[in-house]
Amino acid sequence: MKIRSQILAVLTAGCALGLALPLRAAPVDDEDFKAFKDSVTKRLDLLEKTHEQDQKIIEQDRKVHEQDQQEIQHLKMRLDETQKTATDAQQKAEAASQVQPVHPIPEGPAATHNFMVVGDAEVQFGKVDGSHSGFTLADFAPIFLFRARDNILFEAGFDVRLQNGSTGAVPAHDSGSGTSVGLSFATLDYMYNDYLTFVAGDMLLPLGTYSERAAGWLNKIPDDPMPRSVLPGSGVGAQMRGALPVGASGQSLSYSVYGANGPSSMDITGNSTSLDLGGNVGLKSDGSTGNLHGSPGAGGRVGWFYPWKAHYDLELGVSGQTGPWDDMEHRQWSAGVLDAALHLGPYVEVKGEYIYTWVETDDIGNWHPHGWWAQAGYKLAGLNLDLPLINNFEVVGRYDNLRNFNDAGTIFRKADRYTAGLIYYLTNTLLLEGDYEMASSDDDGLNHNRLVFQFSFGF
Amino acid sequence: MKRLSSFKRRFFAGAGLVVVAASLCGLTLTGASAEDKTSKDAKPEKKTEKKAEKKKLTGAELYAIHCNRCHPERYATERSAAQWKTLMVHMRVRANLPAEQAKVILKYLQEDAGTP
Repeated sequence: MKIRSQILAVLTAGCALGLALPLRAAPVDDEDFKAFKDSVTKRLDLLEKTHEQDQKIIEQDRKVHEQDQQEIQHLKMRLDETQKTATDAQQKAEAASQVQPVHPIPEGPAATHNFMVVGDAEVQFGKVDGSHSGFTLADFAPIFLFRARDNILFEAGFDVRLQNGSTGAVPAHDSGSGTSVGLSFATLDYMYNDYLTFVAGDMLLPLGTYSERAAGWLNKIPDDPMPRSVLPGSGVGAQMRGALPVGASGQSLSYSVYGANGPSSMDITGNSTSLDLGGNVGLKSDGSTGNLHGSPGAGGRVGWFYPWKAHYDLELGVSGQTGPWDDMEHRQWSAGVLDAALHLGPYVEVKGEYIYTWVETDDIGNWHPHGWWAQAGYKLAGLNLDLPLINNFEVVGRYDNLRNFNDAGTIFRKADRYTAGLIYYLTNTLLLEGDYEMASSDDDGLNHNRLVFQFSFGF
Repeated sequence: MKRLSSFKRRFFAGAGLVVVAASLCGLTLTGASAEDKTSKDAKPEKKTEKKAEKKKLTGAELYAIHCNRCHPERYATERSAAQWKTLMVHMRVRANLPAEQAKVILKYLQEDAGTP
């Protein structure tokens, strides 16, 4: 507009001059006209240049204006989003404030203490030749586990048992039932490092492996093997034990060394009938209770476990214990056990122990209660029959014997027993067992045939 | 003269190519022999590494080896993670489990442990 007005002003001035000049009628030479023309041309060129510059400035201003408009649009969008987010957050906060917290999730490290109860329960129904059948046993065997830290455990096992056929509280009955509560074991286990664990208390003694692995729902035949009766199952003392891996295939060596009170005499003497495998804390001659002799027994076990693949493994072990048993500490009691267990796949298990004891006595000289047992089991799932009930059965069989003789040859007793059984697994821990035992012995107490059913539950 | 000069050019160009090719071959052969040496040395290491990797048992394998010997297998979901920790201390003592294997089995059980 400015440029146009300037140009218009120049033209107007030129016209005005042209109109005014003819009155004078003075002649214009060519040089003057040419000079005037050059002057006007230069001025027009200058005006054009100025116009172009102004156009460029206008274009730039237009572009800047467009950019500003875009920025304004963008900022408007972000403002809308921010407002929306603020609104949502407010709504959520209002909703959260109205919700009652039910289970606040605790934060922090895992608890170091833990207490739990495991164990098993059994009920037996039996029929002995020549006697009526009946429910013979109900047993509740809880194990309390208290973990104080990652490497400290206190464990205790009890047996709460109602048993028929034991000496009853009512004298008029030939046989009655009795309820007993016994401590099976109670130990404090302290894992000093990866290879050494200290155990102290009333320990399950590692003479063989049966006593440590014979819970009701683990033992596939309700009775204990006969030769186990010549060994103490537990003892009060202290033990060091551990296992060392051999290679990386699962093979290991295990060891245990212990000192325990050991067997004692029931009447101070060293007569064979006075042997008490339960321990030497008892009633002393002066009427007080205490250690009947001052020398504990010592023992240990070394084991080797070799798996060549999962469910295929062999375990061998040798163990023993020795120590005085009479109050005068003149007579020694010693035991040695060889144990073995073999698994040939998930369906076949064979295991057994050979047990030998040496007992010095006052009356019959050196006495040797000993025996061995072997047990085999086969899960019928290994037959691959397409029958679901069959797959839950396991057939088991056991032979066990007990021999008793002395060096003088005046004593010789023997007992043999054959057991055939069938187990039905209702679940992995609920078992229905049935077995038939055929025993022959010159000891009337062991000379019988018996049918036993047992319902076992491990928890 | 022009023919001689062009021949010279071609000759030297060809000789240059031969020299370059020979250098490249030499470098290649030298590098290959070095690799052979290192690969030969590495082969026994790789074999032992492979053997070690092969023999290293997983938690599932150790569980199958140890936890089915005396009792039917227990399922991981039966217990919580803390309970499995307590049970593994008990079983490590009772079943004479090596510590390292017990830890691997514990980790395996805790991965699928049930919630209390």
